[in-house]
Amino acid sequence: MSQTVFAPWENPEEKPLIEFRNVTKRFGSFTAIDDLSLDIYAREFFALLGPSGCGKTTMMRMLAGFENATEGQILLSGQNIGPIPPNRRAVNMMFQSYALFPHLSVWENIAFGLKRESKDKEAISARVEEMLRLTRLTKFAKRKPHQISGGQRQRVALARSLAKAPKLLLLDEPLGALDRKLREETQFELMDIQEKTGTTFVIVTHDQEEAMTVASRVAVMDEGKLIQVATPDVIYEAPNSVYVADFIGDVNLIEGRGTTEGERIRLDWAEGQPPIWATPRGPVDTDRALTFAIRPEKVSIAKDKPEDRRNLLEGEVIDIAYLGNISTYHVKIAGGQIIKAQTANTRRLANRDITWEDRVWLSFTETSGVLLEH
Amino acid sequence: MRRLVLIAVPYIWLLALFLVPFIIVLKISLSDIALAIPPYTPTLDLSGGWSAIRDFFGALDFENFVFLTTDDLYWRAYLSSLRIAAISTLITLAIGYPIAYAMARSAPEWRPTLLMLVILPFWTSFLIRVYSWMGILSSEGVLNQFLIGIGLIDTPLQILSTNIAVYIGIVYTYLPFMILPIYATLEKMDESLLEAAEDLGCSRLSAFWLVTIPLSKGGIIAGCFLVFIPAIGEFVIPSLLGGSDTLMIGKVLWEEFFSNRDWPVASAVAIVLLLILIVPIVLFQRNEQKAREAEG
Amino acid sequence: MRRFSWFNATSLTLGFAFLYLPMVILVIYSFNASKLVTVWAGFSTRWYVELFQDQEFLDAAWVTVRVAVFSSTIATVLGTMAASVLVRAGRFRGRTLFSGMIYAPLVMPEVITGLSLLLLFIGIGLDRGIFTIVLAHTTFSMCYVSVVVSSRLATFDRSLEEAALDLGCSPFQAFRLVTLPIIAPAVISGWLLAFTLSLDDLVIASFTTGPSATTLPIKIFSAVRLGVSPQINALSTIMIAIVAVGVITASLITKRAAVTQARDEQAAVRATG
Repeated sequence: MSQTVFAPWENPEEKPLIEFRNVTKRFGSFTAIDDLSLDIYAREFFALLGPSGCGKTTMMRMLAGFENATEGQILLSGQNIGPIPPNRRAVNMMFQSYALFPHLSVWENIAFGLKRESKDKEAISARVEEMLRLTRLTKFAKRKPHQISGGQRQRVALARSLAKAPKLLLLDEPLGALDRKLREETQFELMDIQEKTGTTFVIVTHDQEEAMTVASRVAVMDEGKLIQVATPDVIYEAPNSVYVADFIGDVNLIEGRGTTEGERIRLDWAEGQPPIWATPRGPVDTDRALTFAIRPEKVSIAKDKPEDRRNLLEGEVIDIAYLGNISTYHVKIAGGQIIKAQTANTRRLANRDITWEDRVWLSFTETSGVLLEH
Repeated sequence: MRRLVLIAVPYIWLLALFLVPFIIVLKISLSDIALAIPPYTPTLDLSGGWSAIRDFFGALDFENFVFLTTDDLYWRAYLSSLRIAAISTLITLAIGYPIAYAMARSAPEWRPTLLMLVILPFWTSFLIRVYSWMGILSSEGVLNQFLIGIGLIDTPLQILSTNIAVYIGIVYTYLPFMILPIYATLEKMDESLLEAAEDLGCSRLSAFWLVTIPLSKGGIIAGCFLVFIPAIGEFVIPSLLGGSDTLMIGKVLWEEFFSNRDWPVASAVAIVLLLILIVPIVLFQRNEQKAREAEG
Repeated sequence: MRRFSWFNATSLTLGFAFLYLPMVILVIYSFNASKLVTVWAGFSTRWYVELFQDQEFLDAAWVTVRVAVFSSTIATVLGTMAASVLVRAGRFRGRTLFSGMIYAPLVMPEVITGLSLLLLFIGIGLDRGIFTIVLAHTTFSMCYVSVVVSSRLATFDRSLEEAALDLGCSPFQAFRLVTLPIIAPAVISGWLLAFTLSLDDLVIASFTTGPSATTLPIKIFSAVRLGVSPQINALSTIMIAIVAVGVITASLITKRAAVTQARDEQAAVRATG
């Protein structure tokens, strides 16, 4: 039964491929990266996720060698890469704009890096052909970048940066220029290629869905700091802060005061309303203001009061967003706060029994939400 | 290291062949004319040590500049250059604006060709373009023959060797400088703005006056400076098309230098010309900067 | 176009007539048999024949071409360097002076540039001739080149150079293999601009030349000072013809390239996959 799960970060024996050691990067008086430490392991598909200006691109450019850390060190396989110029690093980058050389053909673009280090024409040619096959571009080898489509350009950029078989591949918003459908297809293609080549990928993105789909671990960043580094499911199910909970997906946030009662926490969130009960995953400091965070799909909605649930909120439906496969109900509860509840539309729309201005009951289990400290 | 070489090579070139010559002009403008080679005094002899340097600076004075103010030839030449440049600029604007406007309103597939037709004269010799008017404007020239031929005049008009010929020459050679910036602003203008203005009750003419003209102001100002600034120091046009009474400072400087061999006065004339030019150049720079900022 | 009226058509017709008629008349009269330039006495090519037999003109043309080739080539190298300093080098001490020295010659009256360079050459005791004209032309045309090239460099996608570095190029290799081929059209037009400026220049060449070197514009100027000359008409026609052929060819080539590119892009969109 033991299929080993890929989780080198849980193994204390494992040596990280990349180590950020107390790295700070300032541009003039602006601090882009603030005393940041992070380990990334070989064969990981690591995502740096955050809003624009959070420092994720700066981290990537420091790895590529286009920026130098103001303080601290960055190690690659245990070696400080600070003094190594970009053209001597075993790191390649796929640029957001793809940065394909417009005057060179697809073939020449892919061969560009190989020609810099080797004179062996046969070997270069073989490697380029291999890359063309890997990215399904063989037919387009002779074309110039402006003669192929956006999706093909993206694959050329990938092939070019993988051709030198780098220890580490950096991908800067690699799918940002593609339309939604192509983006989803390409995400799986990227994962497939990452697995085939065994290269460590570090991807920078502001698209949380993309990060969740492709990454083995996600680092959520804000203002030059790491907020949470964890696997996608942990990030989603157990965010460590209001920031992460709010940044990833849709969430209901209810503020209140907590008291410990045995294993459970009682959260009083409004005068004269029944409290919310939650089972925390770790110790919670009840002296501080707490926020209860729960995903809309974990909130059930019903017209009749369910008897078996501990957490119940009464409210009025004020809006329904019909998205085809699911519907989101916006319910106004006591105190005026809006709580979102999501249900899968397993029945036809016409048969739906909840409609605008209905009085409804929202319910959820004690373990379905998380308590976050401020 | 590489960066240092990259900066140093063009830097040193410009220092040696632009800034140093300019400082020499400044220095000679403060010297006195002398019957010697070179024909001015003092000359700096560094082997004389500190006292020589002190004597050198002691011998420099503003005599030549004082001279420029006493002989009315010079200040009349400056004023006349400014006037000729200003009048020609206004004529160029009056002719250039309708052309630029018509180009911007022509069918998009025609615009590159029209643009090329405006730029083409740039690449032909300036001297030849000025010269071509000599055959047209002279008393037995094409224009006079034509006017006499259609019976409009009996005796040939004297146009060549007058200020009118100079205006024509300046307008002709600098017209593309006026058309291009105005065309650039008009071409960017959204035509629906005019429709909106008409929709709000403007007549075509008032829409043009209230919308098109203000929006093309940047191009008009840029075009005017691009004509005005080089026209002030013009030499070829007044000397080929103008008469003996056409006073322009470029011509005066040339004659002062080549005919009178008075280098100190020629240098002083040059320095004053530059001081006069600084005003329009600074205004032009400011206009350009504003245009850049407006574009974001 | 909706707003294209008779008024616009008239201004275009009159405007282009004004721009081109003088040159057309010049060309027509270059084939005039009469020495009296204004009296048409039948078609003749005698002025062209005389022009090509006049050794002084041929010598002047040769001097001019040599000066233009040398000065525009040096100016292109220096101007491209200056452009990359302006766009890329960031802040350094003396930057303001540097950009001032790049832009000042563009607005400096030619008489002043010529005068100041002459005074320099006399001051350092340099013999005047082709060499000093080349120095003078290089100095002002490198400024034009750097303006042309720096406006292209300003829109150049820097990630292309970074990609080259990332793939193992040294900074110089990145410039040679990636930047230069891409900005080549701007560098070439800079060279052409420098070349025409040099061919065209009368004032600066007059100041900086010595008795040993007479350029074509100096020759033309002294010939036409006193009036119209049929030989000069013939020479002008040849020069106009060269420019017209050159510019029209160049624009046809660029147009064809643009059309091909547009067609390729459409094909790429259609054939996605």
